[in-house]
Parts: sequence; structure tokens; C-alpha cells
Amino acid sequence: MRKLELAFREAESPFHRMTPSSKLLYIIGVSFIAIFNTNIYVAVGLFLFTLFIATFFTKVKLRTYWSLGKVILPFIIILMVVFPFFYGGQATTGSDEIAIRTPIRDLTWADLGFGWLLALRFLALGIAGLTFAFTTHPSDMVQNLSKRGWDYRLVHAPVLGLVLFPGFIEMGREISITQRIRDLGQDTNFIKRKWVRMKHLAFAMLVLGLRNGQTQAMALDIRGYGAHKTRTFMRPAPRSRAGTVFGWTFFILSIIYLVYQWSPETMQWNMDFS
Amino acid sequence: MARAPALVVEDYSFWFRIPMGEEAEPALEHVSFEIEQGEFVLVLGRSGSGKSTLALNLVGIYPDYFGGQNQGKISIAHPERGLINRREVEPGERFQLVNMLFQNPQDQIVTLSVEEEVAFALENYLMAPSEIHPRIDQALDLVGLTGFRERSTMKLSGGEKQRVALAAMLAMQPRVLILDEPTSNLDPVGTSEVLDAIDRIRDRVDLTLVVIEHEVDAVFDRADRVLLVEGKTVHGPSDPRRFLDERGLEVRDGLGLWIPQAVEVGLELREAGIPVPRIPLNGDELVEDFGAYEGSIDNAVLAADNEVHVARREPVIEARDVSFAYDEDAVLKGVNLRAYANELLAIVGQNGSGKSTLAQMFNGILTPAAGTVLVEGKATTDYDFAHLVKRVAYIFQVPEKQFIRNTVYDEIAHGVRTLGLAESEVEPRVEAFLEGLGLLDHRDRSPYVLSHGQKRRLSVAAMVVAEPDVVILDEPTFGQDYHQAQRLMQLLRQLSDQGAAVVFITHDMRLVAEYANTCAVLSDGQIIFEGAPSELFDAPELLARAKLKAPPIHAFSRRLIGTSLLDTDELCRRLKEIYDAKTRTGV
Repeated sequence: MRKLELAFREAESPFHRMTPSSKLLYIIGVSFIAIFNTNIYVAVGLFLFTLFIATFFTKVKLRTYWSLGKVILPFIIILMVVFPFFYGGQATTGSDEIAIRTPIRDLTWADLGFGWLLALRFLALGIAGLTFAFTTHPSDMVQNLSKRGWDYRLVHAPVLGLVLFPGFIEMGREISITQRIRDLGQDTNFIKRKWVRMKHLAFAMLVLGLRNGQTQAMALDIRGYGAHKTRTFMRPAPRSRAGTVFGWTFFILSIIYLVYQWSPETMQWNMDFS
Repeated sequence: MARAPALVVEDYSFWFRIPMGEEAEPALEHVSFEIEQGEFVLVLGRSGSGKSTLALNLVGIYPDYFGGQNQGKISIAHPERGLINRREVEPGERFQLVNMLFQNPQDQIVTLSVEEEVAFALENYLMAPSEIHPRIDQALDLVGLTGFRERSTMKLSGGEKQRVALAAMLAMQPRVLILDEPTSNLDPVGTSEVLDAIDRIRDRVDLTLVVIEHEVDAVFDRADRVLLVEGKTVHGPSDPRRFLDERGLEVRDGLGLWIPQAVEVGLELREAGIPVPRIPLNGDELVEDFGAYEGSIDNAVLAADNEVHVARREPVIEARDVSFAYDEDAVLKGVNLRAYANELLAIVGQNGSGKSTLAQMFNGILTPAAGTVLVEGKATTDYDFAHLVKRVAYIFQVPEKQFIRNTVYDEIAHGVRTLGLAESEVEPRVEAFLEGLGLLDHRDRSPYVLSHGQKRRLSVAAMVVAEPDVVILDEPTFGQDYHQAQRLMQLLRQLSDQGAAVVFITHDMRLVAEYANTCAVLSDGQIIFEGAPSELFDAPELLARAKLKAPPIHAFSRRLIGTSLLDTDELCRRLKEIYDAKTRTGV
């Protein structure tokens, strides 16, 4: 069975010491800037900033970032190549001089810059997301959010998902193999066969998933899950004043930038709803 | 001296949720028994007899959490209040008095690291971190996992996972712990690890253990008393030896329960009229009672049934230098293996050794990264997949994953139709097949509502009805009682006699000894042995390397008669001959 590896990497770094909430503020800040930014120079700056943080403040090798980050690379290349053809000229991404002539449309430097803008946006988001995943133990997030008043059963659910997901996927794989082996929908055409198999897969996974879920629910109940409204945490919570200051500062700066960007003239899509 | 009661059940009955308008049929009826503090009670019963239902009622999962109705009383020993009705204790506190470990460790791991897993319940019960840490160390020490605190639960072996789950229970310091088939998903070494942990716990903690287990060879002589679940009620608990003495071979032949091989020999000999001073619970007692062999030890293993056929034809399946990896983890490294018609080939090895991966290459589910798998001389990659899977049937461990139709009839009919028969021929053929399996009465029911044994038989039948040349099974007798297992293995032997090559993956060495013609041992992605089971069991260094264990009869038959045997009938015959010779000569 294929093993699903947890992204968290144990290390001693400024980002490991930060609370998950502070890191969430950083991620939200990066998202705001990346999504609403229309300036290629800001995009380059944001990408370099997230890379700088990842390189010097997480104690995780760039090779590790690359091993997971390469998964989104084809998507980024598609953005770079395809989207310039649909660019409407809303962003500050380059001059209107023709850069490349293609049979579909002649592309200006601004068109190409728009492709780059999109690519840099998702690279910054990807790096910031991985920074969070590599430096945040899921249990720390449960603890952090739980101490902020969230129901611990709700915030523990993603951890349960991480633990149980590989087994669920494996179950689906085995049922699909059975369908192929037993040639389910043998007497129907390709599309109907796909439909028959999909229906059966959903039903079988529901039945088996519920059965496994019942056992897992029992396993949780007999260990006092939900016996009290709160719980204690054996793992010491990460804490860093500098991290909190950094998280809030970055978040506030991103809000300021967002306000600065919030105008129909500068946004890359029409924000005038009147 | 009588010990204080830990658990008392008085006239207890239980009904699952009753559908509207249906008359209630109890799952447990008028159950009464008492278990003493510090006892090890073994719970016996055929598959589907209600052992797990009883356990879940003792813990209070039924009816408090998952519904149903009950009558009667269950009392538990409270450290301060003495024996009290379970109802007088809040569920949260109750789980700290009586708790339960499930069959599959995968179902009860809910966190990402070992220490968090052990601490999980303590955190839920609001224990302070300063108290939690010593409890984690103590619990891990008890199960032999000191130094595992920081490990990821995702990277543990099956045996380690089960011991972590056990440690998580022990950390709560319950008075009574119920273990529901704790070794059924484990390889022989994982089983030994869990049983060693249980011994360590019994030595160091005053804990009452109630163990449900099919793998009786290793636990029967550990039990202080046995409890039999039969016909919706419970008999006992009684002394294991007295239980066997009174019930005799009916335990195996009538009740369909697995019994230890040493017990089988003792009861068979008594049945044959040979005086047996006591029913032996293990090999040591058998040797003690019948005298150790004093001649020279014969290294030639006599296992006529298990001899490899000398004049073999071409292999039906052949793996040539097969390698395979999941991502960067090499699972198979240059494997060579052959399976022949009219033979049962067992593939054994510890959890994660690559057995299922190899077997899935035989019908093209997986393709080798290097090397070739040949089916009747032709590479699997050269076959059309639909054609290949008709010739090589693969049966998964969990039967429900095989079912693709809504009724039992349609499950079988689906396979029959692939033979291209006229529709008029399908029904009689399916009905004949269902009758042979004892499933005709269930023909219009959903496969999902059958009992575990019936599901298993249906899943096998649905695949073999299309008359494949090769049948591959993953853990064919998993979770089945003696009768069900025998019936299934007879079916496989019949298929083999009819010309099929049967390949089965198993951790059950008794099954290998009794049924396999050949066995292949996978260790660290390589075949380290291929030959008769008797040869494997006679090679201790090989067994140690593959982390396997010979069935108990292999060792005690050698100590009794100077030769290792794998068949209890053969050993009984030899012992009877010795007894007759002694009687004749008056020695």
C-alpha cells in the first residue's frame, strides 16, 4: 500500500516556534496580496519574500519544498502559457509592444507579464502554504484553535482525516480493481459502464466507510472523546512573541495593500457592482 | 483463595435496535457469569456467535452509544465503592474501569504520533500534562515500546500499532480490559509481540483480562478460565482443562471452535482409547505425560501430504526477476517464483514483505517495474486485462470489497454469464452452486447482510464460478471458525484437484502445514525459500529471518517421537503404535 506521508518536519526554527494562528495570519496576508495584486513588481517581491522566509526561517531544505512543490508546476506552466491569450489589459505587467506573434493572437509584453503575474501568484501561495504545512504539527493547530474557543472535536477532525484518509483511498482502489476484475457493466457501452461503476463504487464505499466509521467512533467513545467540553494537551504549545508580531504586522500590511488596490481602475477584474 | 469479583453479569439480555413491527429476537439471552479480579478469561465461540456483541455490552458501547435494549444487570468493581451497578457510573468514568481493544489496530489509531495516541484518552479526561507524561512512559514500557514516543503512528508495523493501541488502553489504568481478537491482523512475530506484552502486563499490573481469540494455540494455556458463547447465551467461566475434559472433541467437531494442536492430540488419543492422564493444554504438558523420545532425532520430516510433486509440468504462473517499488520504496527485488496446476502454493512472510504486491502481479493488477510475470508462458503485459482476469481470479481479504451486485444470486450469475452460456443454462448452474455453498436459502438477500463466513464463501464462489486456471486468495480463513475454515480449504483443495493452481497468502502457519503443497517465503522483497512447508519449518534460521514461527506440532512431535510432523492425525497414529507396542511388550 502506498504510504501517505505527513508534511510536518520536526525542527527548531522561528516558524516552528510561531503559533499556528500567527502563521495563519501570515498565510492570509500572502493570499490577500497574491490574489488582489496587479503589479508584476509586487508579485516578484512577494514571491522572493516567501522564498526568503522558507529558506531562512523554517529549517526545511529547499529540496523538500521542491519535492512537494513540483506537483503544482504543470498547473503554473499552463497559467503562464494559456492565460496571456485571454488578458484584457487590467494589470501593470508590461508595455503594449508586441513581444511574440502567434497564429491565435499577437502577444504583447503586458500579456506575457500577466502570465508571469499569475505564475508568481501561485508560486507565492504554494511556498507560503508549504511553509505552514512543514512547520505546523496538526496537533498544535488543534490545541491552538481549541484554546481560542473552538470545539476540539471540530478542530481535531482534520487530524482524523489525515490518519484515516489513506485507508479510505486504499479501500476505493481495491473496489475499483474488483470492478475491473469482475468486468462490472460488461454488457454496456463505455459511458454507461463508467456510470455503473461510479454508482457501485459510491455505494460500496458508503457501506464500508460507515461500517469502519462505526468502529472508529466506538474507538473514540471508549477513550473519552467528547466526554468533556474541553480537554488538556500533553504537547507543549508553540509560543513566540516575535512570531505573533510578525504575523499581525504582515496581516495588517496586506490589508493596507488590499485597500490600496480596491479600485475598479487598478483591479484586474471589474469590481464595480453598481 | 477466591479473589474479589471484577465483573458480574446477572440475567442479562440484549436486543439490537428493533425494526418497527418485527418481533424482537435477542442477541444475548439470560447471560450470567462472574469474573474475578486479576483473571485471564478466554472467550470462545464460533464466528457470529455474539462474542463481540457481549464484549461491547460489557464495556457499555451497547446500548448506551449505539442503541438497542437490554435487561438484567452488569456490575463492575470500583476502586473506592466496591462492586457497583454499571448504571451508577458515568460513561466517562466507566471506560476507565472497563475498556476494550479492537481487532484491527488501524481502526483505533486516531492521532499522528505514538505519545499523542497513548495520551489521547488522558487528555480527553482532562488529566494534567505533568501526570500524563509518566503514564505514557509506564504504558509504553509495559508493552515493550520504550523509545517509541516520538514515532509516527503511520510508520509502525501491524504488531507495533496493536501494542500502541494496547498502551493507550493501559494508560487509562482500567480494572478490566477486553481484547477482541488482538492478534488476528498480525503476522506471527506481531502476534508474539502482543502476547509477550500481555504476559508482561499480567506480571506487573493487577489487571483482569477478557480475551476473545481464534488463534488459540498461543493463548489457551495462558487462560485461567474459559467462557463459551453459544446459542445467544454464555457458559462458564470454567477451568480450561475441565471444559475440554467435559466437552471433548465436540468442541472442535460440534461447536466448530479452533483448539490448540496439543489439545487435539490429547483428545484424539483419549478418543482412541489410550489413557490420557490429563488433557494437555500445550506441547510441554503433552511431552511430560507421554514421555520424551530418547532415541536419535530423525531430521527427515515425514509429511507425506505435503510433499512437493516431483514430476511437474510447466508452471501456470512464473515470476522472473520481478521488481517493483511504490514511489522510492522497493517492495520486490528480483523475485522468482512458480505456481503449478494441481498444487496449493502458500506465500508467507511478515506484514509489509510484499506478498500482496507480488500476488497482484499475477493477474495484471500491478505491472512489474522490471522482470516479467508469465501466465501459461505468456507475459501478463501481452494479455488483454479482461481476458487475463478471467484466467487468474484474485480474491481480496475483505469479502465486501468483491461484491458488485445487489443479491447473492446475481453475484454468482455475473460470473456464470462471463462463460457465454445461454440464459436458460445460467439459473440451474447458479442454483446448483448456491446449494453446494449452503447459500440457496439466501439467494435473494443482499450480500452485505450475510454472516462473515457466508460472505467469505460467496466472495470465493463468485470468482471461481468462471472456472479460472489460477485462484489467488489473500488470507482465506481470516476471522473464520474451524468449520468455516475447513469448508473453505476443502473447496480450494477441490479446485486444485480439478486442475487449478491455487495461491494463498497467509499468516496462519497451521493452514500452511495442513494444506499447502509448496510454500514461498518473502522477506524484504525477496524469495528466501521455496519448497515443502516441512522443509521450511525444519529450518529455524530461515524462520527467524522471515520472522515466522512453525506450528506448535512441529516442535512437540519431534520431542515426542523424534521426528517433526505437521499433521495431528499422523502424530496420533504414531503415538498409538508406540502405545500398542509398549502394551504388547509390557514395558
